[in-house]
Amino acid sequence: MGILLTIAWRNIWRHTRRTLLTVFTVALGLMLLLLSIGLGDGGHYQMIESSVRFGSGHVVIQAPGYQQSRGVAKYVDYGAQHRALAWLDSAGDRFGVQTVLRRVFGSGLAASAEDSAGVQMIGIQPALERSVSRFAEKLTAGKFPESDDAEEVVIGSGVARRLALKPGDKLVLTAQEVGGRELQSILVRVGGIMRTGIEEVDESTVLLPLVTAQRFLGTGEGVHQIAVLLRDSRLAEPLARLARERLPGLDVLTWAQALPELNDFIRIDDAGNYLFNTVFFVLIAFLVLNTLLMSVLERKREFALLDALGLTPERRFSMIMLEAGFVALLSAAAGAALGLLGHLYFAVHGLPIDWFYTGEISAAGVAFDPVIYSNLSEKRILGCIGLVFVLTLLLALVPARRAARPADACLLGRA
Amino acid sequence: MPENEYVVKLESVSRVYHQGDQTVHALDHISLRIHHGEMVVVAGPSGSGKTTLLNIAGGLDRPTEGKVWLKEHELTTMNRRALAQLRLHAISFVFQAYNLIPVLSAEENAEFILLLRGVPAAARRAKVREVLNAVGLQGLEDRRPHQLSGGQQQRVAVARAIVAEPALVLADEPTANLDSASAAALLELMVRLNRELGTTFLFSTHDPRVMRRARRVIRMMDGRIESDENIPEDEQE
Repeated sequence: MGILLTIAWRNIWRHTRRTLLTVFTVALGLMLLLLSIGLGDGGHYQMIESSVRFGSGHVVIQAPGYQQSRGVAKYVDYGAQHRALAWLDSAGDRFGVQTVLRRVFGSGLAASAEDSAGVQMIGIQPALERSVSRFAEKLTAGKFPESDDAEEVVIGSGVARRLALKPGDKLVLTAQEVGGRELQSILVRVGGIMRTGIEEVDESTVLLPLVTAQRFLGTGEGVHQIAVLLRDSRLAEPLARLARERLPGLDVLTWAQALPELNDFIRIDDAGNYLFNTVFFVLIAFLVLNTLLMSVLERKREFALLDALGLTPERRFSMIMLEAGFVALLSAAAGAALGLLGHLYFAVHGLPIDWFYTGEISAAGVAFDPVIYSNLSEKRILGCIGLVFVLTLLLALVPARRAARPADACLLGRA
Repeated sequence: MPENEYVVKLESVSRVYHQGDQTVHALDHISLRIHHGEMVVVAGPSGSGKTTLLNIAGGLDRPTEGKVWLKEHELTTMNRRALAQLRLHAISFVFQAYNLIPVLSAEENAEFILLLRGVPAAARRAKVREVLNAVGLQGLEDRRPHQLSGGQQQRVAVARAIVAEPALVLADEPTANLDSASAAALLELMVRLNRELGTTFLFSTHDPRVMRRARRVIRMMDGRIESDENIPEDEQE
């Protein structure tokens, strides 16, 4: 094998420019693949983080059936909450639990002196939400409520505009309470106004302190959602799987199940990216195949010689595979180096996508961050490098088989 | 010479090529035996079938009809892999066009067959140095083919052919591309190797200088053997 390695290595440098061009092309492809996946995954990660921090969680625990029909009466009672919180407390370290939030949800009517509008109410724990969710950082006026029982609310900018409200103004919220036939109303004061960039949130959301909301909606100490925020979203699935076993009688959903629109959007976006990358790599593959094939076809006489000297078809096949292996190694190394440098740059400085549009863009109920930061897992990096390596070797099968074919002895006589 | 001491035996071998509508009988029912230690020249004009004969004797080409043996191995029944293995261990070639591996040095080219055979490094190096000295290439071991003259390249090819001490060396017009001095030196070298090591040589040529050094000359014409005669020692140069 030693002599084949020597010949293979020297063969690839017989046409230095051609080899470097091939290596550069494949490396460029790998670099673009790593950048494309890094920015794609980074964008998706930011969407997930943004979404779970705007009223959801990496894992959410709810009453059975709440996800399908969000009735106000389908809440998790105090006993079940206690059980869930105790288990999460014990499992927290293993799954990197950052915070556990409790929320209630309801829909109703908000009325000011000027007008009225349908709203979605979310009862939150202000102190905890302020530390981990994005509601507080999106305040454009006023302040976040201080306590769980304050009669002070944060409203979306669209609600404020339609009802002509500003911080300090009063509004009346009306909703149907749990089990009651009567409508309940509560007078609250606007504490703050937020602008998230997500139309659905800004046009209809009213955030109430948790206890105020529980009292108003009549859930007692019950909540509609226990939202778990994790340090690493990839642990959502294993945590949810274990939680389903340990918390019977409750629905445990990952963010992907709790936010199916977002999950679908990411899957479609991923599919588009994969399709684009596949087309791109097919083009590169033709170039590499052409180079490898040309390098074999122009050496027909050499293969006839090697055959005459006793190099078996298997060894001639191996020689071409080794040449391709060297090209693949050089390409993978160069591509990985370039791709990782690009990834590091975009992971630190980000890619400002607001160059391409003005205003705010949201999709699947999530506002795009104006800057996307690259996010690549080791698995992705190794997968891309492995893909390029294997693809190059697979392409080499065609010329390698050609080199192993019976040689034409007539070629040996020609000067 | 006993009947069973042949190195190569051809039995009624024919080789037919089809070129478009034309059928070319490159070899037409050839039978012959080459014995151990012989230095045989196959002579004849271009197109007489010399190269085809050598290719078939070396297992590089298959006859359309007839049988070929190298010692006890019947080449006509062997697959490509087995033929390559047999060539590696028993047959060497010297070509008109030198045919060295361009990315290897003179020493590496000469060493190639021993490497494929898995000869240990120390024995391999010693043998290669000895043969390169014998063919007069000392000091040129590290040069690549393009850094050598035609005569030097052909010497490397001869070194490669004899270093593994094969049963048979097939040389297809080895002096055709060489000047007179290089051709004479190369012939002298091969005659010496034949006499000292008993290496069996089968040449194809139409070079009278080569024919004058042979012990046996087979003359071919239109794919047939016209004559096959042993040259008395006093007539050899």
